[in-house]
This record gives sequence, structure tokens and C-alpha cells, in this order.
Amino acid sequence: MRPYFEKMPGFGKELKENRIARTQESRAKLEALEAQIAAARKAKEGVGQPADAINKRGSFTVWQRLEALVEPGTWQPLHSLYNPQDNEEGTTNVVDGLGKISGRWAVIIGFDNKVLAGAWIAGQSENILRVTNLARRLHIPLVWLVNCSGVKLPDQEKFYADRRGGGTPFYRHAELEQEGVPIIAGIYGTNPAGGGYQAISPTILLAQKDANMAVGGAGIVSGMSPRGGFDVAGLEELIAKTRDIKERPPGSATTHFDETGFLTRLYDDEKGVLDGIREYMRAIPAYDPMFFRVAEPAEPRLPARDLYHLLPFNQKEGYVFDDILARLVDASEHMEFRPGYGPEVYTGLVKMDGMLLGVIGNRQGLLPKGYPDYGNYPGIGGKLYRQGLIKMNEFVTQCGRDRVPVIWFQDTTGIDVGDAAEKAELLGLGQSLIYSIQQTDVPMMLVVLRKGSAAAHYIMGGPTANRHNAFTLGTAATEIYVMHGETAAVATYSRRAIKEKDSGKPLEPIAQKMNEMAQKYYDTSRPAYCARYGFVDEIVDLKALRGYLKAFAGAVYQNPQSICPRHQMLLPRLIKG
Amino acid sequence: MAQEVLAPLAGNILNVLVEPGAKVQEDDELLVIEALKMENLVYSPYSGTVKEIRVKKGDKVDEDAVLLVIE
Repeated sequence: MRPYFEKMPGFGKELKENRIARTQESRAKLEALEAQIAAARKAKEGVGQPADAINKRGSFTVWQRLEALVEPGTWQPLHSLYNPQDNEEGTTNVVDGLGKISGRWAVIIGFDNKVLAGAWIAGQSENILRVTNLARRLHIPLVWLVNCSGVKLPDQEKFYADRRGGGTPFYRHAELEQEGVPIIAGIYGTNPAGGGYQAISPTILLAQKDANMAVGGAGIVSGMSPRGGFDVAGLEELIAKTRDIKERPPGSATTHFDETGFLTRLYDDEKGVLDGIREYMRAIPAYDPMFFRVAEPAEPRLPARDLYHLLPFNQKEGYVFDDILARLVDASEHMEFRPGYGPEVYTGLVKMDGMLLGVIGNRQGLLPKGYPDYGNYPGIGGKLYRQGLIKMNEFVTQCGRDRVPVIWFQDTTGIDVGDAAEKAELLGLGQSLIYSIQQTDVPMMLVVLRKGSAAAHYIMGGPTANRHNAFTLGTAATEIYVMHGETAAVATYSRRAIKEKDSGKPLEPIAQKMNEMAQKYYDTSRPAYCARYGFVDEIVDLKALRGYLKAFAGAVYQNPQSICPRHQMLLPRLIKG
Repeated sequence: MAQEVLAPLAGNILNVLVEPGAKVQEDDELLVIEALKMENLVYSPYSGTVKEIRVKKGDKVDEDAVLLVIE
């Protein structure tokens, strides 16, 4: 298959001087928003105790552990701004992302030991479940940096119980292990109760000698009040008990190394634990990337800096999707699937770090005259019509057959509406695409370049594809909502406006409500909001997008659960004809 | 030979990006038509020199109206 893959057709046009000049303001807006996101990320890294205070106690912070553990240049953070329960701490108290350890990709997560000594807080279990799902979908190890003081007791009602509460990750750990995905834990500090299960539930347990893990910590071992309430005498007893037990907390590392033998290894210092993780990562099954490469890796022929002039910040402005894709893929080469059919959608094969991926993305701007062929109106990119829906169904089905992972790029206003669209079966074809995705069983990821909207956000590999979408990225131009705020205001208030008009009432109050609604939609669809509430897993600088795409390719081809020999693939033959 | 560039759809001229006498290449951006809630770029179908511009910012145009002439 070398003639197919080694040199694919080049694509993407050079950026023109007049476009560079015309898009300076757009570029500035994109960069300003990226700077805001970076500042928010930096602020979140700094929450809790200062690093010096942690270091004086002889410990590293989670950030220092990550710095020492992850290979330079490979860390791709996720959920940096995730805080769905609006915690006052500004965090879910775990830090996670994709990174390489010992030359292998892993999903890595650690408790932020600067904040409440790494306690469970609201929204954290949702964050962890996203991470365990990611490891399962990519079929790569999950590496935990456990340092968890247990439940933040004043807030326990927000996260202790429920189907997706604090205990659910322990079942997820068991599920990963059943599916052959190892969990390697480095254990530090005091880990009672919930922290104890965080420490015991992984596959391989590597602890620092001063760590402990226990069913219950010193705080609860001293027990409930025997008098059924609290008074001074009772407090004196409590103080004496607590002082004693604080000096000898249950579940020391020595107990769990020498007595129970739960701990696989025990290390004197912080770095020893990280060395142990590296050693175990070297022992996991991982293909050499050359096994799956269809060509030598190559940087794109066209530079990433052009992206700031190609993706307009203005949501109403069109652009050429192919020119953006050409800045992200190896050698700016591709093999387009059915180029003359369904012109509102791009489908094609590309190389990422030498490995084969499928890409599906919305094209923008005016579509050729006569399209859509079922309606007497002009077609416009970003919207989905009959042929585009059929083409995506065909392409993902073939990707499933050929075991080719898929990257989706969304910038969509939705599926075409109206009676002509209904007669053209668009409702059924949209759900058919969901069915097609579901039956592929190949990992997918999504980049919401600008708009993720209406049902199109669901059917185009959105995060709602729980078992397929590994993670979703946004950009500085991302907006996610069921429909544009102005459209929603019209849908909500147009009939009421007629009534008010007919009854002779003033229309200004309705106009004000419509403006307020549009503003609310704007405020709740912006990149920082999307990241905070988990609509996306990370907002990424345009210049950093390729790093995530390479990480995705490297991870999905590290230890795939199924393989199609390249010489038995159909997609390249279908494209060639 | 003079070639006319036609409006691909009806709408309002939001911006004219070239001036008479400008040399343009095929696929260069010529002007922006606002229609269907979108700002639609009109690209040059030809390489040549802009001989005449028949619309200005704010004009309403019908589909297939002559926008400019390239020689």
C-alpha cells in the first residue's frame, strides 16, 4: 500500500498577503482570548497552599510530580478549567492530561495536594470518570498520583453518594482492569477513607515510605461522641485520643508493605516513586510506532501560524476548511473521500505522525449552485444536507471496517430544516449517523473549531458519543449552544410579541427580554464557560492543536484492540476508484 | 478579455476588498455578501486586473448581478 500512503496528494493554499492584512483584528481577538484562557489556567495551578509550604514539609506538589514524571514536550493537559459545581476552590482538585512516560502514552491524573491535602470535592468524580473513560477508549494505562485526604466533610452531600459519586471511580478502575487496561499508582501522603480506596483500587501500588492508606483516618478512628452530643469534658477526651492516634495513624506504608503486602514497592523518597512508575510503564505492552506508520512522520508543509488568519473570530464569516486542515496534518497531504458529493462536508484520510487517521469536518461558505438538490434555496456550509449526511455515514462505516480512528472538526449551525428537508429524510439520516458511529468501535476525538450547535453537535462525533469520543477540544472561537441566542429569542418571544402588539401594549419590554436572552446565550456558550462546565475537555491554542492530534494518534495506535492490515483496507481503494 | 464576476446569491454588499486596477489571482478574495445570516466571501474565478467595480458597500444585489469586471 506504499503507493497510496507514502506520498498522498498535497492540499491547502498558501496564505495571501491581502488576507493576512484583512484578518489582523481577527487574529488579535483569537490571541487575546487564548491569553485569557492561559491566565485562567495559570491561576488555577496556583490555588491552595504555595509550593514552598508543601516543599518545606518534604513533599512535591502535584505539578512538580508531573514535571518530573512526564517526558518534556508531551504533556497535553485536559480539564484544566473544569469546575462544574462552581467550587469555591476553583477546581475539582485533580489535574489530568495525556503524556508520555518511558516512551509510552498514558492518561495521567493526580490530586492537587496544595488544596485541602488533595481532598474529594464536588465535581471531582465526574472529572475522574471522564479520565477513566479516556483510558478505556484509548486503551492506554491510567497513571494515578494519589495524595488524597478523603472527603471535604462540610460539602459531603454534594458528591459522596449517587450513581456517579465519589465511589464510582473505584468501579471504573475495576472495569479498566477487566478490560486489560492497567492502572499504576504512585502513592504519597495521608490517604484515609476515600483516599484509601483511591490508593488500593489501582493495579500496581508504588508508595513513598511516609505515605499511608486506610479504611478510616485518624479523625474518625477516635469515634463518635459517646454522650450523643458535645461538651467540654467530651472534648478533653477527644483531644487526648486524637493526639495519640495522630502520632500513629492507621495504615502506614510499612504496614501495607510488610504486613498486608498490598504495596508493590516502597520507596524512600518522592523521586523513587516516579522512577517506579517509569519502570512499570516500560513493562506495559506497547507497539513501536513504526509498526503502524504508513509513512515517515512529517510536519505540515504549511505553517500553524496561518491558522490565526484562516479561522475567523467572527462567527458569521466563512473560510476554507481544507486550508485549516492542511496546517494540521503530516506534509499537508490527504486522500479525500467522495470530493464531488456532499460538498458541505469534508471526509478524507490523513497522516498524523506517520499514522493513518480519518477526518470529517464542516466546510463553510456558499455551496455550489443547485445544492441541496432537493430544495429551491441556496446551500451554505456549516449546515448539513442529505448528501453530506450520507457521505459521513459511509465514511465512518468504512473507517470502522478499516479500523481507522477518526478526528471530527465541527463548525456547524445544524441540520437543514423545513418540509423539503424532512422529505429528503434528514431526520432519519442524522440518527443513522449516530448508529454508524456506534457500530464502528474505533476511537474518535472532536475539535469544535467554532460552532457546535443543534443536533449536528450530537451526530458529528460529539461528546454525547460517550463510547467513541475520547475527548473534545475547543478553540478561542468555540461557541456551543442548542441554537444561536438571537434565534432562541425569536423562537421564544415572537408569538408573545404578536399578542402584545394586538393588545396595544408597548413592545420595548419584550425587546429587552429578547436582548437579555441573546446575551445569556452568548455568556453561556463562550470558551471558558464550555471548559468550566465540561462541554469541551480543554480549550487549546490553535498553534497547539497538532500536539493533541499527534497525542491522539500515538495513543490510539499504542495498543489497539483490533487491527486491519493496511493491504486489506477498502477506504484507500474506494478513494482511488 | 473582460470577464464578469456574478453574485452567487442575493444579499447585501458588506465589504469590497479590491479597488479598480488591482491585480488579482484566481481564488483571491474580492468582496463579502451578507446573506442567510452569514458573511459570504466571493472569490475571483479568474486571474487578471480589476477593470470595473459595479457595487459598493451597502448595496443590495440579486443573484447573478454583475459585481465587478476582471480583464
